[in-house]
Order: sequence, then C-alpha cells, then structure tokens
Amino acid sequence: MKRVIRSFLRYLARRKSLAILQLLGIAFGVAAAVGMTLASRSALDSMENAVDFLRGGSTHTIKRPAGPMEEGLLQKIVDDPSIKFFAPVIDRKVRLASGGEVRLLGLDPFLDKNVRSITTQIASAANSAGREKILQSFLLDPRTVIIDENVARAGNIAAGQDLMTMQGPLKVVQVFSNPSGEPLVIMDIGNAQEFFRMAGHIDRADLVVNDEEGLRQRWSRGFIIESNQQKAQTLSALLGAFKLNLQALSLLALFVGIFLIYNTAMFTVVSRRRDAGILLSIGASRGQVTLAFLVEVLLFGITGGALGGIMGYFLSKFLVQIVGGTISTLYFFLRPSALPWTFWNIAGGILLGSAASIVGSLPPLLELRRIQPVQVLRGRTASRRAGRRTKIVGLAGLFCLALALVLFLLSFLNVYIGFAGAFAFLLGASLFSGFVIIIAVPFLKRLFSSVIGLTGKIAIGNIRENLGRTSVAVAAFMIALSMSIGLASMIDSFRHSLIWWMNGQLRGEAYISTKADVTVPEEVYDELKKIPGIGGIDVFRNVQITFRDRPAGITSIDSAVLQKYARFGWLSGSDRAWEDVKRGDVIISESFSLRFKVKAGDRITIDTAQGPSTLRIAGVYYDYASEHGVIMMDRSLYLKLFNDRTINSLGIFIDGPELEKGRILDKARQLSLKYGLPFATREQFHRRILGIFDSTFAVTQSMRIIAVIVAFFGIAGALMTLFVERQKEFGIYRALGFTTGDVAKITIAESIGLGLISFFMSTVVGTIFAFILIRVINRQSFNWTIFYHLTPQPYLVTFLTAIAASIAACAYPVWSVIRKYPIMQIREE
Amino acid sequence: MTSSIRTYDLWKEYETGGHDGTALRGIELEIAKGQIIALLGKSGSGKTTLLNLLAGLDEPTRGRVEIDGMDLKGLGEKGRTELRRHKLGFVFQFFNLLPTLTSLENVALALELAGRPDEKLAGESIALVGLAGKEDRYPHELSGGEQQRIAIARALVKNPPIILADEPTGNLDSHTGTQILELLTGRCRELGTTLVMVSHSLKTCEYADRVLRMSDGRIFEEESCEGLAP
Amino acid sequence: MGGWFYVKICCFIVFLVIVPGLCAGEWKQADGERRWSFPADHGSHGEYRTEWWYFTGNLGDASGKKYGYQLTFFRHSLRERPRDPNNPWSVRDVYLAHYAITDASNNTFHYTDRASRKGPGLAGADAHKMNVNVLGWSAAMDKNTIRLKAYFEGMELKLDLTPQKPPVLHGRHGLSKKGPLPGQASYYYSFTDLKTTGYLKRPGMKNQVAVTGTSWFDQEFGSNQLSGDQAGWDWFALHLSDGRDLMIYKLRKKDGSIEKESAGTLVEPDGTSRQINLSGIEMTVLAYWKSQKTGGRYPAGWRIRIPSAGVDVTVKPLVANQELANTVSAGITYWEGAVDGAGTSNGKSIKAQGYVELTGYAGTIGGTF
Repeated sequence: MKRVIRSFLRYLARRKSLAILQLLGIAFGVAAAVGMTLASRSALDSMENAVDFLRGGSTHTIKRPAGPMEEGLLQKIVDDPSIKFFAPVIDRKVRLASGGEVRLLGLDPFLDKNVRSITTQIASAANSAGREKILQSFLLDPRTVIIDENVARAGNIAAGQDLMTMQGPLKVVQVFSNPSGEPLVIMDIGNAQEFFRMAGHIDRADLVVNDEEGLRQRWSRGFIIESNQQKAQTLSALLGAFKLNLQALSLLALFVGIFLIYNTAMFTVVSRRRDAGILLSIGASRGQVTLAFLVEVLLFGITGGALGGIMGYFLSKFLVQIVGGTISTLYFFLRPSALPWTFWNIAGGILLGSAASIVGSLPPLLELRRIQPVQVLRGRTASRRAGRRTKIVGLAGLFCLALALVLFLLSFLNVYIGFAGAFAFLLGASLFSGFVIIIAVPFLKRLFSSVIGLTGKIAIGNIRENLGRTSVAVAAFMIALSMSIGLASMIDSFRHSLIWWMNGQLRGEAYISTKADVTVPEEVYDELKKIPGIGGIDVFRNVQITFRDRPAGITSIDSAVLQKYARFGWLSGSDRAWEDVKRGDVIISESFSLRFKVKAGDRITIDTAQGPSTLRIAGVYYDYASEHGVIMMDRSLYLKLFNDRTINSLGIFIDGPELEKGRILDKARQLSLKYGLPFATREQFHRRILGIFDSTFAVTQSMRIIAVIVAFFGIAGALMTLFVERQKEFGIYRALGFTTGDVAKITIAESIGLGLISFFMSTVVGTIFAFILIRVINRQSFNWTIFYHLTPQPYLVTFLTAIAASIAACAYPVWSVIRKYPIMQIREE
Repeated sequence: MTSSIRTYDLWKEYETGGHDGTALRGIELEIAKGQIIALLGKSGSGKTTLLNLLAGLDEPTRGRVEIDGMDLKGLGEKGRTELRRHKLGFVFQFFNLLPTLTSLENVALALELAGRPDEKLAGESIALVGLAGKEDRYPHELSGGEQQRIAIARALVKNPPIILADEPTGNLDSHTGTQILELLTGRCRELGTTLVMVSHSLKTCEYADRVLRMSDGRIFEEESCEGLAP
Repeated sequence: MGGWFYVKICCFIVFLVIVPGLCAGEWKQADGERRWSFPADHGSHGEYRTEWWYFTGNLGDASGKKYGYQLTFFRHSLRERPRDPNNPWSVRDVYLAHYAITDASNNTFHYTDRASRKGPGLAGADAHKMNVNVLGWSAAMDKNTIRLKAYFEGMELKLDLTPQKPPVLHGRHGLSKKGPLPGQASYYYSFTDLKTTGYLKRPGMKNQVAVTGTSWFDQEFGSNQLSGDQAGWDWFALHLSDGRDLMIYKLRKKDGSIEKESAGTLVEPDGTSRQINLSGIEMTVLAYWKSQKTGGRYPAGWRIRIPSAGVDVTVKPLVANQELANTVSAGITYWEGAVDGAGTSNGKSIKAQGYVELTGYAGTIGGTF
C-alpha cells in the first residue's frame, strides 16, 4: 500500500511547478473564504466591543420615540424604584474643520461614573494640581472637552490645544484612552446642551435597571425602553443586510475555491487514470487505488488549506479595513482591528481545504472507481465516451438549473434559499461547459484556422479532443468570470438606479447639511426663508425608530415643497399622494413596504411621544436611502407626533432664471457658512452620495478581484496539466515537422481558445447571475428594486481578464516546450 | 483440475454505435497447466479483449471464465483482485511500469500487493531478468527492452501460476524482442507457469507449445505457425 | 461634625481638589458670632462654600433588635454663581450623600453614596428651610418633623424625626473652632435628641421593619479648610439614658498631638448646653479593630470621662466593621458607626448609645491632600 501511495505522491515531486500551481489554487480558494470570514467576524466583534465600551454597565436605555427627550423627565427617573442608576446622554456628531465628523458625547460625570468608566478617566492621570484645573475646566468652562487618543492622533492635538470644529474651537483639557477605537469627544452635559443648542433636552438616558417589567409598565406611553439585548438585536438587524452580503461573498469565495479544488482533483484523477489501470491489473484493489488518490488529494487539501489559512489571515487584515470603512460610512463608526493570529486559522484552512478537496474530488473519485483498466491501458479513452458523459453531465446541469428555479421561486421564504438558488444556478451552468465546448469548437476552428492557419485548427481540435479535462477547466474559469461579470453588472445597475433616484428625489438646487446625524439650528431655516427668490425649502429630518422590533426610519419633509419640485418614483400611488401627505397621511419606501409587508392604503401604528399613533399609507415610493425602510411624513405631522423640532438638512429650491439662482445660492452659502454648516450644490451632493455608494461596494469589488485571481490559478493549473500530459504529442508534432514556434502557437491558441469559450459562456451566465443578484438576492436582503442596466464595461474587463489569464497561464508550458522540444521523443515512459 | 484456464461460450460486445461492436463471439477455450500459448491475430480480432476477460479486468457480455477451476464472475470484484494478486502476472506491450517508482519498487509493489513484501526477492527477480545493478533506475531511465524485463520480473516475482502477456514484444525491435521471448518463456518453463502471449508476431509461435489464432472474435486452433499470415 | 472631612471627600468625588485660598475671598467666612434664626437656618447657606446636614441614629424594632443608620448630605460650591443661570446643569454646587445601615442582630453593615449637581431637579437644598435632596434621598422639615427618605438596592429608610430639645449651638454661640487661625472654624449646631419613628430595611430583609429610637442631627457650614498638619479626627455623639447628650471632637495632628481647639458639648435634659474644653475630656482607648479590607487600625472601645460633668461612660461599636471603605467616589475610607455602652452620669448608672466617626486611620489621608 505504501508503494501505491508513493507512486502517486512522487508525481508531486516530479511535476513541481504543476504541484505548486495546484497548491496555490487551493490556497487561494481557501484564503478567499477564510479572509472574508475573518474580516466579517472581526468587523462584527469590533462592533460589539465598541458598543460594550460605550454601554458600560448600563442595562437599558430610555428615550423618546424620535428626537431628544425633555431633561425634566430625569426627575421622574430618579424616583423610579426599578432604576438603580441612570446617566443622561447627549449623543451627537460634530463636524470637524478638517473634514469628517466625530462623535461627541455630552455626559454628566457625577451620574455617568455609575454607568460606565469613561468619565472616571477624567483627570485620572494628572497630578493633583493639574487635576484640579482639568476638572474645574471640564465642568465649568464652556466648550471644554476631553478627547480620546484617536481624535488626538488624527488631529495631532494635545491637551491644552484646540479641536477645530465647524462650530468653532473646542478646548481640549485631556486626552483619554479608549479601547473601542471609535474616536470620541466628551463634553460636560450642560456645555453640550449649549453647544448643540438643545437647552432643556437630552438625547437619552442610559439605565441600570433591576425590575424591567415595572419599568416598562410605568414608561409605556411615549417612550422607548430598549434593553441591551434589544439594542444589540437592533444593531445587528441594522447590519443584517450588510452581514448577509459579507456572508454571501465568503460563500461565493468558498464556492469558487471548491470549484478550483474540484478542478485540481479532477486533473489529478485524469493524470492518474493510467497508473490506476496498471495498479488494478497487477492486483491493487479499487479501494487501494482510491485511498492512494485520496491521500494525494488530501495532501493537497491540507497543505493548500494551511497555506490558504495563513494567506486568508493576511487577506483579512486588508479586507477588514474595507469592511470597517463601509460600515462607518453606512451605519456607525467602526474601526475594526483584525482578529489576532491564532493557529485556528491554519486549522480552519486545513479543514476547509480538505473538506473542499474531498467534496471536489468526489466526482472524479466516482469516475476512478468505474475505471476499466482495459480501456485506460489500451489508450482507448474514447472521446466518444466523453461525449456521452457530456450528455449525462448536461442533464445533471439541467437538474441543477431546475432546482435553482425552484429555489428562486421559494426565495421569498428566506434569503438563504435565494443564495442556495444562486449556487445551484452557477453549479448547473458550470455543468454545461462540455456542451458549450462541443458547440463552440467548430466556430472557433474556423476562426483560428483563418487567423493562424493549421496550428489554430489543431489547437482547437485539442480542446475538443480532451473534452473531459477542458470542460472542467472551462467550467471553473467560467464561474469565476461569471461572478466577476455578475457582481460588476449588479453594481453598475445599482449605481444607475441610484442616479435615477437622486435625480427624482434630490432635486434641490443646493442643500445645507446633508447628513442625518448633524443638526441644523432652526434659525438657519428662519433666515433662509427671508432670502428673496427661493421657491421652496424642504425641511428634512430623519430619525431612526424601532417598528415592530426592527429598525426603521422616519423622515419628515415639507410635502408642499416636494410636491412642487420632486419627482418621486412611485411603486404604488402617484404624485397625487402628496395631497394625502399634506393632510396627515404618510408615504413609505419600497424597503419599508417589503420588510413589513404593508402596502398603500394600509394603516400602520407607530410609537410617538403622544403614545401609539395610527397612520394611513398614501403611497409607496422607490428609495435607496435606507434598506430598513422609511416612513415619510409632513413636518407638521412629525412635530405634532414627536415634539421634535430638530432639522437635519435643508433643501433649497429656486424657480428663477440661472443668473438669479447663482446670486441666491451665494446668499444661502454665506448663511450656512455663518453657522458652520456644510453647503452642497446638487451636483456636489449627488457626487458625495455616489462616493459613498462606491465605497460601500469596495468589499464586493475586492472580492471580484480575488475571484479573478483564483480563476487565474485555476485555469493556469488546468492548462499546465493538459500540456504536461501531452508531452508525447509534442514529440509527434516534432516528428510531423512542426517548429518550436508552431507548437508554442498551438499551445497559446489552445489556451486562448479555452479563455474565449469561458468568456463567451460567462457573458451569458454572468448576465443571468447579475439578474439573480438584482432580482433575488438584493431584493431579499435589501428590499429594494434595482433596475438592470446593461453596461459594456464589466464585459470588457472580463474579456481582457480572460485573455490575459489564458496567455499568462500558458506561459510556463510554452517556455517548457521551447526549452525541451528538441529532446522530446515519441515514447512512453 | 487439469486445466489452468477455461472459458465457456464467451461473448463480449461493446456498447458502440457505428461498426459491429462485437469483439468476442462464443469463445470456448481450455488451457492446461504449464502450457505456453501463442494467441495470434490481426489487430481488432479480439485478442486483447480475451486477455482482459481472462484476467478479470473486464466482464464478458455472456459466458464465463474459469481460472484454476474458479468462476471469475463468482469471485466478485474482491475475489478477482485477490486472483490478480496471487495467481496472475501481467506483461504489457507498453510495459506499463509506474513511472514514479524505481525498477525495484515496481517489482516490490507486486509482492506488496500480494501480501508478501520482500525487497530482497524483488532484487533477485530483477537479477534473474539480467538487470542487476539497475534496481534504482526509474522507467524512463531504461531502454524499452529493459523496461519489459522489469515488467517480466514484476509478473514473475510473485510466482503466479498464470502469466498473461499482451504483445510483450510489440514495442521492441526484433533482436530485443527475441531476447524477451526467450526470457519470458524460459522462466515460465522453469517454473511451470502457464503463459498466454497475445501477439501478432509469428515469432512468438516458435516459443509456444500451442498456437491459437483469433479472427473476427472467434478462436481457431493451429497446428503450427506455418501458413499463418502475419 | 464629620463634615470637615467630607469636604475633602466631596472634593474627591467631584475630582476636585480645593486648594486653600482658591477663590476664598469670594466666600463668606465663619469668623464671627452669628445671628441664628430657626427654622430658616436649617436651610442652605449658599454664601458659605461648604455645608452638611448630618443624620445618625440608634434604632430598635419590636423584637429588640438594634440598628443604626447614617444619612448625610453635603453641599460644596465650585463657584459663587453658575456660569449660565438659565441652565440647570451649569454647576454651582455639587451635592453628595452618604448612606449606611447597621444591623447589630446579624452583625452587618451596608453603605453606599452618590453625588450630583443640581441639574433639572436632581439634587439641591432650599435656602430658608430644611429641604435637601440628592437623587431622591432627602431630608425635609415639615413643621416640627424632619422626614428622611433614602432607597437603594434593598437599603430602605423612611423616618420621622422630632426634636426633643431646641437646637444646640456648639462652640462660641455656634462658631466652632477647628484650628488656631481666624478662618479655621465653622458654624455648627445640632439637634442632639430627635425622637425617631419609621421603617427600615437592609439588604437581605424581606420586608421593612418598624423602628423607633433616637437620632442626632448636625448642621455645619463654613468656607475654610483644615490646616495641613491635621491627620484626622475622632468624633463622638452620645445619648445618655438620663437624658443628657454628649458631643466630643478630637482633631489629631500629624505629629500625634491633639489640636488644642478640640472640644465637646454637653447638653442637659432641659436643653441647656455648655462647652467642654479639651482639657476637661479624659479618654482611654480600650480596644482596636483592624480592617481586613483596608488595613486601617481603628480604636474600637473607649472610656470617656468628663469629670466636670460627672460623666464616666464606656462605649464600644455595635458592629466591629462599620468602615466605609473606598466609597465609589475616590477611595476615601473612614469608620462611622453605631456604638453603645454604659457608665455613670452624676453618680447614677446610665446606658449610652450613639455614633462615633473615626477618620485618618486607613491610608494616608492627610498626605493625599
């Protein structure tokens, strides 16, 4: 038995470059999956750490359903017997003069020390004289803050210096350490009220509660009480779609990885068929041959997996930055640190590599078990049989596609079913590669023979001749290319839908402040109204609420202004809905409608400062602002329900001629400058949104690149095997009088032929995959409709990738042909 | 128990479209122990098919094969593997040595599979085919004749009662071919091994006790090589 | 009396260290005789920098179990007036409260503390009547009854206190000297005998128990500091069963000597009182108790003799461990506990109970400042 295994394993040593390629193929597949998994896990872990740090020992949070809470309520909280400790919090963002924004917490050090540790750090390190000054200053002087080391580092600010914000300088009296990584500025709560112009209000109170039920009873009307568990759930729901996206990408990476490993395993079997036949004929049992083969595959799986685990760890360091950036842009600040190195990375990689190797080598193993030594040894590996196999495989493909269809039809049940469908589709499509080769070969033959003559014809003939091998290579390459096309087309379509949406909804000439977490003083609105020539001002307020235990948003707008200027895309209802909105109805975004299964005409009940309030839905509009769903209502209704006068953004609409517009916009810009508020023209605003969009898909883009890298190794490995197998043929070519150049040409043509077939197939499969991503996956996870938009760019990029990879893949074989050709003989070993 | 190999109405049809897919048409054959057989015939006459059926490497469409009185079909896959390990030796036209194993390892492998790992015996076997000193060469480092010698050593080392040889000289020049035939038949006679040599070379006849000719899936007994068309 | 010390604790809790002389000029000094006016003087005296309302009491329930409690409120001003008078968060005063319950029957002692600025109704003290509140713990005087209320995690206290004697002015008509220099003094008066009824609960008890007993109330205010050479003090407030009440404070200096201004007050059953100078007080420590937690070694039993008043009592703690260690604020540790004992007063056998406060025994309190 030892010798049987040895006979297999010696191949690895003999064909080092091939073995290395195969190993790298597996390693990259595993690395992609491990890297993605680690990155998403460390992002989520960091999120929990950051949340834990800020949460401290608090168990609950009490707040108004929307907007700030009256500070007088604290007296009621003091008297509540179920509240052990409480700490009022003002939790806002402040925009820095250097650009960007930072979280500013207004805290009361006296009360806060019972709840979390941040405030106890105040003056903890200073000597007694310095301590006195710091604390006096923090409590008593306006605009005094302590900042954490992140802010200090980013702005190169030390204690005693000023932190420059758009609302003027803040005096930094201390820099404190913050394990959460989130940049923080902390101000005394009284000073924060002043700074944010919110006298008499706080944002929320964090509580340490010992009788939750009693608490909820006493505060049932007009308040939201959230336990930490609920908060965590909300947070995780907030990230739900994003998490899903990451998981899907990990799975896709794994899928490509498995395919690659299958590819590798398949070639291993193919190249061992003859040996298997010999072994069987001299008395080795099928079990022994299978075992020997498994040992080889597992050796690849384990080594490649271990290597992949290590590579995946480093990949995750890179990916985690991108993931963190995206979460920060879209949800809340997060600077995830990569998970520390553990040997579990290697163990996981090995597990993944060997599992994928075994799964991937199942089909070739089954084939090995059926091997008829007679045929193998007589060289009667008739393409006839490969043809028949192609039919069977094609049938299996049809079955997979049918399964995919069923899964898509059931995908409304759970988004994972949609994912399963996507995989079934890709698998099914890959099984048609043999078919496609048979169909494509005659065309390619004509094409190549007309370009490079006979050698081209031979090259393409070789593809057909070695169908059993080439079809697997094409399948693997095609899948990777399809993923690239599908992901890119999805992103492009999404981008176009977003542009369409912006052009309809964000039609203001300019916007004062464009972020939902920055507030605009009401005076700005009042002064803006005084500027002559402005046709309308949309007063925008967006708050996050909890609806049916899941996060959602409420947006209040000036419906009269939007009715006049905006062009909403209606899913149901029409511009007439604005009349209803003016009268007190609401409109909801598509994502809200899908997520909560409500439609135009329905009534929904939301918690307000006045208790539960039931509202009628007048229409459903297309929206890409929030995947969690938005209820849009007129500001008058919002003020009535929530007593929250906060403004997040002002949209300025102007009717007059262009010349006039410029003059008015200048005035508005000066006004916003006066208040330290950002001002953006429509173009700037739209550009910024697209910028955010692009950074959001950075992870997806990098996944695309990884897919292509993985594909490259796949195809290179496959081609290498093909060529190594065919050294004898090279001898025949030589005998026939081909020059080295001719053989190189054949090799390259064959490689490009495979690349072309893979590419053509991927244009179809990739486009369908894009549709699946758009119609099934995106709709299921984000609850919004993206309109497919055909852009040539992804196809072009993929085409170039395919050609480049094909050429690069045959570089080594061609070089080895050139080097060895003169001594090659027509002889069996 | 006088016959070493016996077939009863052996048919083999290939599932192929196009031309006639029948390779064997009712072969009745009985080979006595220790006999050396030359099985001649044109290519495509069904020689190799028969050989593979005898070895249990392939299954007949109809009929049966008995080796040492044992029905191959009745043995099952496991039994047939055992049979190949202990009772059959193989020599191929293309030598079919495992390219990744040395000469010694190739020979030793057969012993190992037979459950009697013995490197010394393997070495002796190589010496007996005249290749002492080349134990550590890989197949591609040997000439064709040398490779075939190793293949013969591999077949003989486990001392099987039957050796099946498929065109053992087909890939060798005539001088080397003669040497190989002498070696193979000589060793078989010494050991009393039944040898079936498939060949299309008339030279084989000279070394055989009995000559069989195959044509179109049928088998004919020949008195001598005289008059046989090559 | 403990107030002086608490000013420092208070500073710690606010994380502020008040350097003597800082802003001192702006605050009124306790440096002359005061014209007292009750009940208005039970209220807050915002013109002085620090002030405390200090309740301790010895209680018992129907089954004869003995309890003690301490509920003390402090006010400390950081500045004379808030920067923005319209913003309740704008800090002028910081309020603190310490709260402890002793249960002699099962030898337990529980304590906790809290602090707050005035904020939107979170803490505060009325100016012209006793109504002080720190995050829901409160002491308010209604007609002739002081109502105490404090709840926290199984520690519940709801008591009505009725003075049995008029306020006793300590020192020179209420001006109590703490050091040799002019400003080293405070205004200090007490209700030494408060008839107490109400309810109490300590952690581990299922229900509140009805309790009755005698409480002691100190109010003290001023703007100055202890001198730097003082290491701590011992303070005694004892009710004698013949109706006399005795207060003694001894300021210990770092060199081991006793501050000469240390003194006491003896209150007769009819409410008349007289000051007793240090020289008239003889005190012997009979035992010590070492804190496992802080390592502090505290006196734990005293024989106190006031020959001029015919008083000779021996008292010891109800529970050995009544140490308030590392209060959440900033690691300030002191011992404040219920004591009882017996002795003679004017030749007659009497029983005694009351409270003792011991500071400066654990750690380097003097040095911290």
